[in-house]
Amino acid sequence: MQKLGDFKLPQFFNYPPYFTLQPVRDTREKQVQLWKELILDYCRTQKIFVIGLEEEFPLFSNPAIERSLSHEAREAFLSALVSEGRAEWLDKRHRKCLILWHRIQEWANIILNFVKENGLEDSVMTVEEIRSGIESRGTELHGIDRTILMRALKLLEQKGKLAIFKGTTADDEGVKFSI
Amino acid sequence: MRRRPGIGGLQTAAAARDQYRLLGENVAKIRTDLMKEQLTTFRTQLEDFARKHKNDIRKNPAFRSQFHDMCSKVGVDPLASNKGFWAELLGIGDFYYELGVQIVDICLATRPHNGGLINLQELCNLLRQRRKSDREAVSEDDCLRAISKLKVLGNGFEVISVGKRKLVRSVPTELNKDHNEILELAQAQGFVTVAEIERRLSWTTGRAIDAFDTLLDEGLAMIDDGHRDGIRRYWFPCVSSISTAVGADT
Repeated sequence: MQKLGDFKLPQFFNYPPYFTLQPVRDTREKQVQLWKELILDYCRTQKIFVIGLEEEFPLFSNPAIERSLSHEAREAFLSALVSEGRAEWLDKRHRKCLILWHRIQEWANIILNFVKENGLEDSVMTVEEIRSGIESRGTELHGIDRTILMRALKLLEQKGKLAIFKGTTADDEGVKFSI
Repeated sequence: MRRRPGIGGLQTAAAARDQYRLLGENVAKIRTDLMKEQLTTFRTQLEDFARKHKNDIRKNPAFRSQFHDMCSKVGVDPLASNKGFWAELLGIGDFYYELGVQIVDICLATRPHNGGLINLQELCNLLRQRRKSDREAVSEDDCLRAISKLKVLGNGFEVISVGKRKLVRSVPTELNKDHNEILELAQAQGFVTVAEIERRLSWTTGRAIDAFDTLLDEGLAMIDDGHRDGIRRYWFPCVSSISTAVGADT
């Protein structure tokens, strides 16, 4: 079984035709499904939040069989994730893609749990502390992409669970929880 | 018997024919009775044999295969019914029934990848992996027998020969001779190109592409445009085990 680091790659990754966009509809659907699952799995375990289509993302090529995904194929698979609500394009030209292996709502729930577990219901934290402070270590929040974090926080703000306020610099944007 | 003219003659001839017929029937009956007796003896001895060697039949695929051959020579089909002597004694009906169910499972699970056609060898391997904990070993012969029982399920589940290999078909797709020839060529490396088909089989480009299009539509083939030589390859999942495809074409 081939591995990328300690990530186990699925069998289809070693079969050359899967690196070419298939013309037959049913075959294409199966192919897209396999790639969607692989991308999400890989990003989740490696904590990758953004994929650049023109950059060297390890899943886009398999040197063992000398095959790489064309730009069209990369865009097709990521677009499929976008349609499913599991990803978002960060730019109009579809060069960068935000990967939501947790949906924004799921991240919001994770934040709520984090607050409750650490007894922070009425306290104040900076955004940076949420993603890199001591309490975050060992949790899924540690190292979370800032864009995703802000989106989740804004969602919670709309629900009245917290208030976001600006500090003196961008670095100490803060959050007052009222859960 | 001398023929006599007139009605009397006709009656005599008819009587003679009747007598011959009766004699013939008697002889036939004696023969049949003899055969029935021999067959019954055979069957009893077969049942004794099965009783004595029950464990060997269960555990040893080669022995089991020879046992089946013996049975069929005597006109006995241990799998004909799930009740009765054979089923109770050997549990052999259950064994093949269970195998059949597992084979159907595997064919369904691999269908998205291979289009409903799977290499018999790979099917057996997957079957063995699945049955790792079971004491009973499974041979290709066992698979073939279980599949022949599956045929009652209708149009699918048939074993076809392509070149040196056997493929198990679980969808109603009909493969014609052209398709078969392509599959046979594909067995060498798991894929073929149009040029190769033209060269080896002396087909026109049109004929090759037609055949490929059908095979693609049926989900039996996949295209690969990724080789550095830029030539399109047509891969056939059913002729290779996916785990052996690594490094097959670099």
